[in-house]
Amino acid sequence: MRPPAELVHWLFAVGILFVALCLLCEAIVGKEVWQMRAWRKYLWPGLAFTMGLLLWPVMAFFTNSAIHMYAHGSWAEVLMAAGAAELGLVHGRLRSPWWRLTWPVAFVVTGTAFIVHEQNPWFFARSAFLHHLLGWTFVVGAVIPLALVWRPRSSVLRASFALTIVAVSVMLFADRDVAPVFGHLSPLAGAPHR
Amino acid sequence: MMRALLVVLAALAFPAAAAAHATLQSASPKFGVELQRGPPAIRLHFDQYVKILPGAIEVLNGSGANFAGVARTAGTDVVANVRPLRVGAYTVRWRAVSADSHVVSGVWTFGVGVPALSVNDAYGAGGPTRTEDVVRWLWFLGLALTIGALGLRLIVLRGLEVPRALERKIAVTAGAGAFASLQVGVAAFSLRSEDALQLPFSRFLYGDLSPMAATRFGRAFVAMTLAFALVLALVYLAWLVDRVEFLVPAFVLALVFAGGLSFSGHDAVDPGSSWKTEIADWIHIDSASLWIGGLATMGGLLWFEAPQLRSPAFARFSRLATVLIALVLAAGIYLSVVRLPHLHDLWTAGYGHVLLVKIGLVCVALVWGALHKFVVGPAVGRGDAGLMSRVGRSLVGESLVGVAVLLVAAILVDSKPPARPVPPPATATPTVAHGR
Repeated sequence: MRPPAELVHWLFAVGILFVALCLLCEAIVGKEVWQMRAWRKYLWPGLAFTMGLLLWPVMAFFTNSAIHMYAHGSWAEVLMAAGAAELGLVHGRLRSPWWRLTWPVAFVVTGTAFIVHEQNPWFFARSAFLHHLLGWTFVVGAVIPLALVWRPRSSVLRASFALTIVAVSVMLFADRDVAPVFGHLSPLAGAPHR
Repeated sequence: MMRALLVVLAALAFPAAAAAHATLQSASPKFGVELQRGPPAIRLHFDQYVKILPGAIEVLNGSGANFAGVARTAGTDVVANVRPLRVGAYTVRWRAVSADSHVVSGVWTFGVGVPALSVNDAYGAGGPTRTEDVVRWLWFLGLALTIGALGLRLIVLRGLEVPRALERKIAVTAGAGAFASLQVGVAAFSLRSEDALQLPFSRFLYGDLSPMAATRFGRAFVAMTLAFALVLALVYLAWLVDRVEFLVPAFVLALVFAGGLSFSGHDAVDPGSSWKTEIADWIHIDSASLWIGGLATMGGLLWFEAPQLRSPAFARFSRLATVLIALVLAAGIYLSVVRLPHLHDLWTAGYGHVLLVKIGLVCVALVWGALHKFVVGPAVGRGDAGLMSRVGRSLVGESLVGVAVLLVAAILVDSKPPARPVPPPATATPTVAHGR
């Protein structure tokens, strides 16, 4: 029994929003305060890793087109890799700061997959618009985690990173609807269902 | 360079040239059903409006005759009437143009009075290619690396003081095997789907793979993907927190779900197959993976990373390998007897030729293994320093023969065994029934 695609998007939006709020808290109070309780330092990296793992079932069960399957697979891989790298860094098993490059790579791969697998133009329907917007948010937003590799303690960059992920989660919550975007809906998009 | 980058960015930003694409939401009759009577019409329900082309829906029998009428649209549905169908298996191929010019396609099967064919055997599918052989070989290698590395750590090195560097390399090897299994699984599923859909790659990307996911192979792909993703996560966590206990569920999962290949191969679907052949094939795959992967990990990693563990590890692996080889041979002989109805099939059938090559390679590996056990083993036990460095290379050599065995096994799995003699029917049965 496969859950509706909307539900899966919302579940991942919840997880991503939680990661973003943790990152925002960490940026506001500072790393030292955030990590005063040991479990908290594992919270968002662990959740990112788990969400990467949970994207594999999405890949395997949603096979209504090959390109969707590849997009979900690539998200699973990069999110697992970025979460694993962050877990390794906070636990001390990984020491090189270059491991943080997994985040900008994950952003670029995720964004490109969003843009490539959405073949409808921007104003086809709300979901098409949001897929393009998500893709470009990731591609352009990759600059922030890239800058964090060199300036890991910058509060501005950390807050920007968190807010980018908040924006992504909001877009995911609004995604998947066959509904107008700015009053426009392609006559080919089918009947609005929400 | 800059110009190329700008072109790529522009193409991504303004994809209007690329067309909208529709997704099939449901179909009637459903995928893989056995109907008592031929359906009056084929109906495809999409998530958006589509345009149709001549031959948008084809209903093909085993010889390629088309029984579908001219397709028409009805809202977001595409419908084609179907002429009366005889008893038999049928393939439905469809294609539709969504938005401007983008073609989405799909295939599924149903049966009238008989079970539907697997979508792998849909009319027009060409069967496994050499590329599929290579992909399946890589799949076997991924399984062998994962199962072998984990088995070596948990069984052979159990209770021994394992250096951290070796621990890390074993984790990397097992993780690389699981990662490879995931990637190769996707490639194998894509190749199988591409063959069923019979589409060029650019159109295949928008092909509907859900009927493939409902086949035995599709279910095995789904189960193995989920299991090996979990194996990868467990191996990483074991390394991260330095707890070898996490490797136990990873090893069990890998052993259990390697059986997905048995569940979807000849030993599950061909005439003569039963739960016994599935179990035998599963034991065959697991034992061979543990043997070959364990040998490669011992020869390639342990021998050079932890010289102090050579002697106990060699003795323990030697005992384990004896059991594994017995299992490989017992299961292999049983499966050969089931698959080959006559002894002469070994030299008269193509399947038999491949099996002979495999048997020959297994014999080479067995002789090499026997030399290790009976000649090299006692010398390793005595700690013969001059011999030690050469033994590592010899172990790698034996595992390379194992890798060659896996390649031939991959070709064998994709080959069709000779047909079994069919007993004549006791009574005549009606061969024609009809449509509506």
